[in-house]
Amino acid sequence: MAHLSLKSLTKVYPGNVTAVEAADLDVADGEFVVLVGPSGCGKSTMLRMIAGLERITSGTLKIDDKVVNDVEPGHRNIAMVFQNYALYPHMSVRRNMAYGLKNEGKPKAEIEARINEAAQMLRLTEYLDRKPRQLSGGQRQRVAMGRAIVRQPAVFLFDEPLSNLDAKLRTELRAELKALHDRLRGTFVYVTHDQVEAMSLADRIVVMNAGRIEQIGAPIALYSRPETRFVAEFIGSPAMNFVEGVLGEGGAVLVSEGREVLQFDRPIGLAGSGFVVGLRPEHMKPSKGGFARLRFRRVFDEQLGADTLIHGTLDSGPTRVILRVDGALHLPDAERLEVGVAREHLHLFDPKTGLRIDT
Amino acid sequence: MVENRPLANILTHAVLILGVFFLCFPVWMALVASTHGPEAMARAPIPLWFGDQGLANYREILSGGVAHAGGVPVGKMMLNSLLMALGITFGKIAVSLLAAFAIVYFRFPFRMGFFWMIFVTLMLPVEVRILPTYDVMVKLGMLNTWSGLIVPLIASATATFLFRQFFLTIPDELVEAARIDRAGPMRFFWDILLPLSRTNIAAIFIILFIYGWNQYLWPLIITNDEDLYTVVMGISRMVNAGESRPVWHLIMATSVLAMLPPVLVVLAMQRLFVKGLVETEK
Amino acid sequence: MQKRVTFNTKTLPYLLVGPQIAVTLVFFFWPSWQALESALYIEDAFGLSRDFVGLRNFRDLLNDDVYLASFGVSFFFGIAVTFLTMALALALASAANRVLRAATAYRTMLIWPYAVAPALAGVIWYFLMNPSLGIASYWLDAVGVDWNHYVNGDQALLLVIIAASWKQISYNFLFFLAGLQSIPQSLIEAAAIDRAGPMRRFWTIIFPLLTPTTFFLLVVNLVYAFFDTFSLIHATTQGGPANATSTLVVKVYQTGFVGQDYGSSAAQSVILMAIVIAMTFVQFRYIDRRVNY
Repeated sequence: MAHLSLKSLTKVYPGNVTAVEAADLDVADGEFVVLVGPSGCGKSTMLRMIAGLERITSGTLKIDDKVVNDVEPGHRNIAMVFQNYALYPHMSVRRNMAYGLKNEGKPKAEIEARINEAAQMLRLTEYLDRKPRQLSGGQRQRVAMGRAIVRQPAVFLFDEPLSNLDAKLRTELRAELKALHDRLRGTFVYVTHDQVEAMSLADRIVVMNAGRIEQIGAPIALYSRPETRFVAEFIGSPAMNFVEGVLGEGGAVLVSEGREVLQFDRPIGLAGSGFVVGLRPEHMKPSKGGFARLRFRRVFDEQLGADTLIHGTLDSGPTRVILRVDGALHLPDAERLEVGVAREHLHLFDPKTGLRIDT
Repeated sequence: MVENRPLANILTHAVLILGVFFLCFPVWMALVASTHGPEAMARAPIPLWFGDQGLANYREILSGGVAHAGGVPVGKMMLNSLLMALGITFGKIAVSLLAAFAIVYFRFPFRMGFFWMIFVTLMLPVEVRILPTYDVMVKLGMLNTWSGLIVPLIASATATFLFRQFFLTIPDELVEAARIDRAGPMRFFWDILLPLSRTNIAAIFIILFIYGWNQYLWPLIITNDEDLYTVVMGISRMVNAGESRPVWHLIMATSVLAMLPPVLVVLAMQRLFVKGLVETEK
Repeated sequence: MQKRVTFNTKTLPYLLVGPQIAVTLVFFFWPSWQALESALYIEDAFGLSRDFVGLRNFRDLLNDDVYLASFGVSFFFGIAVTFLTMALALALASAANRVLRAATAYRTMLIWPYAVAPALAGVIWYFLMNPSLGIASYWLDAVGVDWNHYVNGDQALLLVIIAASWKQISYNFLFFLAGLQSIPQSLIEAAAIDRAGPMRRFWTIIFPLLTPTTFFLLVVNLVYAFFDTFSLIHATTQGGPANATSTLVVKVYQTGFVGQDYGSSAAQSVILMAIVIAMTFVQFRYIDRRVNY
């Protein structure tokens, strides 16, 4: 087991396309780190640089304090699980798992022992002599994990391993992965575009956007204190609502295009002209109380059972807003609603830089 | 079918049966002729049904050969054809597998230059540049040699392209997984690429074997040593045998033997053959 | 075009392409270069000396009636073989595509001539049509046709056309069948609902959708007729009688190996290369188009 350190890691593709820009990241021994972001944000490139599948343009990559920038993937002491499994189709499950160990020159008995152990852990024992095409998607992905486990690598890399599976299986395997990590106590670096996956698996999440790291933190920290508007919008579902405007007279009202969009109980005590106020759907209560209040025009309801999503806009303008309320709550059949949000659930961002403003 | 018309069905089968007849009849006649003695070949019409000289005819040509075609036993020529065909087939497959592997899985200076060099050979069949090629063979002293018969026909753009095409369909992740599993390029080639290419190799094997076996012009100009005669080209010596009249019953027996191996290969491995042919060229 | 990840070995790729490149250089580029060069010289009968004559070999060829005639023979031969082969193969493929159950059995009986060497195809037809004992010529005689390809140039040409087409039908059949099978059945059914009868469906739906296959086969068949049939002709009529079956490739061979006229043969090679390159170019234009389909 080992720790991993990235120092201003940069990848520039031919044609001056910067995929990853000066990324700094330290992954502690036994930590489960998830890289998350929209497609094209550079998360996969970063993982592939760690794996050695992509040349590092500049910066340093250390595994256990050893610079491995120019070390072949096979010699970096890593293992990787791919989205499409990448199992060798002509080899049995057993041989798939054995291949890397054989290439390392491990003795037969040890290979056998490691495979049996991994197979047991992943409930694959009875499938060891099957070919990948005789297995279901979930089983294939477990084989791919097995192939990584037997290597006993310093770092496990996962490239969207659950994306090819259906929703039910994805939830199942997510739990298995978590259990696996608890059991192996390995250093995991995991890439996904699915923020739910990131939230549920990670010790720490790295949110990436346009080749840069936006924020690194524990899942709950990212949710409750997003450092940028991008992170605020990316983490949480349905996504955070944003209301933009300038502070009006006395600083207790937010005005947009001459109309009041948000009223505060008292001045929020901030200078400056414009703000973006972020409000999570689940924090918006249809009641007259609350620190911040807005008038909401309801367009349609989406009943999901446990929750109801109420879609609509600000009464004062076209800004879209979604409310998430308890499914059992009976709301009056009114078109206009008063909505309130508590003080601690307000997120303020600078409209130009997108950075968080602390109040 | 969209509608059911008895007349159309009859017509369909009639077309197919006529087609089968047109394709099979000549070979039927060759088979029939090969079982008759010379006297049956002396006057028209020649018989449409088998005679009783078959065994004798085939025995004669296999061991003794046809006297005025140099008397090379057909058995010997068949063996030569087989060696040449296998030599060309294995050579081509080996050479094109390696070249395709290099072009797809490596990045190196002149890669595209090599690619185009191989590509242009697609354009010019040996027939169009036969004399200068012969000249080169003379300069290299390769006339009447096995290597002269085989090596020049080994460079095949078609096979290289087929393999290249196939390699490109193999998911990138397999190479990546192999690299993480500490497999170097040659180990990847042996352990993963070759096993995955099995079907394609088999399919192209059939096509190349037929190509090799049916070579005519090349052995004709490269060899005048009877030890190297191949059967397809040997037949033309029997047909155009100068003053004497062609001995048709023996020529037909030889023709039947000469077409037997490739036809059997096609029939026995029909599915692979069709796949190889249709997928290679498209 | 290439893999996202490649191996980083420096010399290995050169070793891998080496064999193919070596063979290509020695047996392809070197002779082709020699052909280009020799086309500009005239060599004496013993090959002892040669004179640079510029384009005279080409000029001589273009003024040579026999050579020009072989152009005509080649084109007629090429077009006849192509048309005959494709028409018959399309008919057979359409029929085979219609019968569902027996399709494989018919296919088996229709594809094997692919494996027959062109030279053998020629020899067998030569035998069938032999004026004195061939069964086909005997039948022709019965209906009043006096067949003798040893004397009659047109008949000799017809003979090689039939033999060449006979061998090539299987190949065309397979491609047409594959093309037909790739047309979605729902399209045919939609046309039937739109009240198009079988013939109309064929010409308005099926045939247009087969265009890529047809075009591909057109080029392949022309190349086949121009080059691969050399052995068929050489093993049978040898270009005769009176050059009636002397195609361009036969002429190259005869000028070079029989006539020992090195310069002229090389010039003919150059002309042939130009034709093939032009045909390949056309084929590529078509491939480009197909990509945009």
